[in-house]
Parts: sequence; C-alpha cells; structure tokens
Amino acid sequence: MLAIEKKRLNELLRRMNRDFQVYVPYLENGTGKFAPYQEERELYLEMNTLLPPKDIFFPQTEKMYKFRAAGNELEIEEIAEQKEKQVVFGIRSCDAFSIDCLDKVFLSRGYEDAFYKNKRENTLLVGLACTAVGDTCFCQSMGLNPQEAVGVDLQVLDLGAEWGFKARTAAGQELLAKYGDVLHETGASPLPAEEFKLKVEVEGVPEKLSRMFDHPVWEEVSRKCLGCALCTYLCPTCHCFDVSGKVKGEEGYRFRCWDSCMFSEYTRMAGGHNPRPTKKERVRNRFMHKLSYFVERYGQLLCTGCGRCLAKCPVNMDITAVIRKIKEAEVE
Amino acid sequence: MKEITQKMRDTARELLSSGQVALVLGWEKGYPWYKSAPTFIDKVEDVERLVFDEFCHNNLSKYLLDLAAVDGKVALFVKGCDSRGVNRLIQDNQVKREQLYIIGIPCPGLKDPDDAAGKNWGDEINGAVKCQDCRFPNPVVYDLLLGEKVPAVERGRETRELIERLEKMKPDERYEFWAGQFNRCIRCYACRNICPACNCRECVFDRAVPEWLGKANNLVENQFMQLTRAIHVAGRCIECGECERACPVNIPLMALNRKIINDIEELFGEEPAGLDPEKKTPLGRFELDDPEKFM
Repeated sequence: MLAIEKKRLNELLRRMNRDFQVYVPYLENGTGKFAPYQEERELYLEMNTLLPPKDIFFPQTEKMYKFRAAGNELEIEEIAEQKEKQVVFGIRSCDAFSIDCLDKVFLSRGYEDAFYKNKRENTLLVGLACTAVGDTCFCQSMGLNPQEAVGVDLQVLDLGAEWGFKARTAAGQELLAKYGDVLHETGASPLPAEEFKLKVEVEGVPEKLSRMFDHPVWEEVSRKCLGCALCTYLCPTCHCFDVSGKVKGEEGYRFRCWDSCMFSEYTRMAGGHNPRPTKKERVRNRFMHKLSYFVERYGQLLCTGCGRCLAKCPVNMDITAVIRKIKEAEVE
Repeated sequence: MKEITQKMRDTARELLSSGQVALVLGWEKGYPWYKSAPTFIDKVEDVERLVFDEFCHNNLSKYLLDLAAVDGKVALFVKGCDSRGVNRLIQDNQVKREQLYIIGIPCPGLKDPDDAAGKNWGDEINGAVKCQDCRFPNPVVYDLLLGEKVPAVERGRETRELIERLEKMKPDERYEFWAGQFNRCIRCYACRNICPACNCRECVFDRAVPEWLGKANNLVENQFMQLTRAIHVAGRCIECGECERACPVNIPLMALNRKIINDIEELFGEEPAGLDPEKKTPLGRFELDDPEKFM
C-alpha cells in the first residue's frame, strides 16, 4: 500500500492544493468543520467534524440567478457555475454515505439539480477511516463500515505512524499516480476501529413504520422536542431548501437556502393552513423521512449513524431510542 | 444527589397517586451517560425514571408553554435559575401560579457535557459555563424544597472576563468580535426555542408576510436575528444560560445577555428578572425619574 508519514501529510496537501481546491477538517472555536486548506493551520483529524461537509455541495445559502426587470423588459442571468476541480480530504464513512443519499435526491429519478451536479462532478472524495469511535457514533448499526467509505475515490487508513492510501476509483488511482513522488510503499497494516458503544437494530423498522402513521408513539417521542432545527442543520443528509429572492429597484436575485421540517412555517400554506400543525406531526415527519419514506423511494436509509443530532440536541432527542421504541411498539 | 433523586420519586409518587397533580415534569437519564433529558410523568409506575444529577441542564419551565391543555395541576422540578423562569412565565400570563406545584432543588452547580464526551463516569469534568456566575442557586419560588439550601459560589469568570474584555474594546473591535461570532450562526434557532423568555405566540423571525428577517444565512441577517433576540429578552432574561448551552457553534450568547443585564441593573437598580412575579420588568414599565443616560 502507498503511504505517507503522518508528519509529512502537509506536503501532500500542499501539492494537491496547487491543482485543486482542497477542503480539509479544521477546528474553529471548538467546532469541527470542513474549510479550504491553509498551509499554516493545524488539521483536525482526531474525530469527525460537528458540521457535516454537505454545504460544499449544497450551501446553506446559494444564489441561483439574477434578474433585471424594467418596464416590459426582463433580463435573466444565470449565476456562474463553479467549474473548479476540488478535493474533499478526510471525509468519514458516515458523511461519504450521506453524499450518496444526496446524489440520489439531486441527481436521480429524472431530474438533475444543476447547482449540485456541477459541484459534485468536479469533486474528488478522499475518505478517512475511523479508529476512535465517538460516544454517539452508530454508523455500523446503519450498515456502514467505519473504515471503508462508500463512493470515495481514495480511502485513507491509519497505519499508526503513517497514513495509507487505497484507491477506490480510477480517479483515485490517478490521484495516487500524480502525487506518487511524495508517497512510499509500506507493509504496515491499518489500525482497527474501536468497538462501538452505541448500537441499534434497524431491521424491519422501515416496513413497520409504514403502518405507524397514527401511532401514539409520536405523541410520546415528540413531547420534549423544542422544534428547533439543530438536528436537521447538523444532519449530513437533511436536504430541504426554500427558495426566496431579494429585489432592489429593478434588479434582484433568487437564492435557495436550507429549510427544516422542524419549523412551524415549513408546511404553512398561503391562507394559513398547516397540515403539520404541531410538533408531533413535524417530529413524525422527520423520523418517517429518515427511516421509511426515503427507504421506499431510494432503497436506503436517510440516517448514516453519524450521531451529530444525538450529540448536540439540547433536549437529548435520540434517534436510536426512537428506533428502539418503534421496534417495541404494538401495531395492529 | 442520590438522596435528591429518591426524594423526587417519592414526591412525584405521592402527588400523582393522591391526584394532586396530573403531570410531573422532571429529568430522566439520557444517552450518553453525561446527558439528562426532560421527561413527562403522568403514571405512578413511571416515577422511577426521575433523576437529579449534574447534567440536568434543561430549564423545564419552557414546557409550561405547551401545557395549557393539561387537565389538572402540573408539578415541575426547578433549580434556582429555572424557578426564575417559572416566575417570568407567570408574570407574562403564560401560566397561572395555581396551576403549578413547584418543587425546588437547591443546585450545586452542573457539569459541562461537552467536556464529558469521551470520558468515563467518575472522571474529572469541568463545571458548566452557565453555572459559573450563578447568583441564585436556590429556587426563589416553590411549594416544596428538596434538600438543604446552598450558598452562591463563584466557580469561574469566563463570561465576566469576556464582558470586561469587550467593554475595553473600541467600537470597531467590538463589532469585529461579534461579527466573527454571528458569522458562524447556522440559524438553527435552538437558542430561541430553548429560552423561556421566548414565548411570543408567533415569533417575528417566523413571519413570512411581511418578511422581517430574510432566510439567507449571511452576517447581516444573522446579526439582525441575534441582536433583535438579545434586545427582546432584555430585562426578562433569567440567566439560565440555556441559549448558550444549546448553541452548537459555541456563540457566547450569555456575554451579550449578561452585559445587558448589568446595564439594566446599573441604570434601573438591582432587580434581576424573575424574582418577584408581581413587579413589572424594568423595560416593561415607565417611571418619571427613569434615567436617560442613553439619550
């Protein structure tokens, strides 16, 4: 396997950053996030980032087009698509699978989202195997391997003193060839991942949920929820957005921005009717979407077990506890 | 704390089985071990879930806003800060005192769950920032007090030092500091939704027509949201620190709230919010001799 000494990783990233826009995990004010590579900054590779990398492909706020309307004249200008080649370095298995979920949403079933597609197609993913497992991590229970990410071009493995690289795609192979001169052949073997502290059995849950729309469990589960959007905004797979615009005089632009099914105005219609009037319906929708509707539509769960929602929810809403409750629930 | 837990369960059992209350709001053990979560007990057999430990951060008074439809009295456990939240909600006519059975717990100061992440039970864990400058660890209103009253202890100075540092800055530097903080805001509204002072029927930020606050995440909108919030809760913030604890990106919101509290106390006299439900809030009343230093 090709490898680089850990202390020399910067040399590789520096080289890579000349050819691509490289995103790496950093710690900023105690918050882990992916940000453009800067030579002098210390990488954060100990644990997963708090903020998922989804905003690299699906920014929280994204301009879509500009317009100018004067009298009967209307001009529309598409906002330039990003063409720059980029590399996301250090993506964990949970987050790599979340990008697979987003690909299904934005690129499959007959409609391709041009904004997402452009960034996605120009991006190479470099996975980073987990050895330390966080208290709230449960990707294994969701069928993922913390050391082998789905859909990455390269997988980085922790060999102790070195980082090892395994190519997973032709593009990954090319990357290794391109930077071969800073890599060396090694016989060291990867460190294993720790035992998961959090486990949950999800088998049968999607099918069971399809018969639980009116189950009293939702009343119980939603009671402590505050209805903030923290879980959905930290979630690597949540992808709802709203489209709004800004107009000043004759000119304006349209943009889209993250939205959340947890907000009361999310499904509020013109005239004021809201089919999800209380947090019970909103919480139900969130779990149904993750664990049932998405499975029905795309054949996979919309939860990757990253554990961010559980780690940060101010009232300890715990999706694994909800799954256990669903398992235990009696259904007619 | 085991003793308090036992007393909580005994009290809840008695209140529910005698029919004095229909619902008990308390805390139960969550996951991981350094999280305790709000819980709703309406059956005697569930009282064993109740706990009190150093991770019972949640201010349960917030849930009183959801409980208008509960048929009967509601019992809730309160620490010092939470009890001020209850008084504030009574003051705002959100709940009636006679609907409540308040069980006070003198608070020894809580621990920081973020510092506990990755550690084991029994390890040394830092105190919660929100408890550092607590002035009222003992409940200020209750029907029953569990345990002995505790003295107010200064446990740290992080927030006060930040305020002192900010006060010494030039306006431009101060602007830069807060701009850096609010730039990070992801507008998840956890700070608003966990706050007992945020009890408007419809929040200005949720208003679509007219749209006071745009949905775009940028510094201008984030600042507008955060400063509006800080000014809106001015004189009503009960210093529970839940906004800052809930913030996933570590914005030091209590430095802002606490600075405003300091200013109000300096301008209008010593009267922290939520001590006396009969007295109008400093910014909610008018007196002819009010100072006008800011004019």
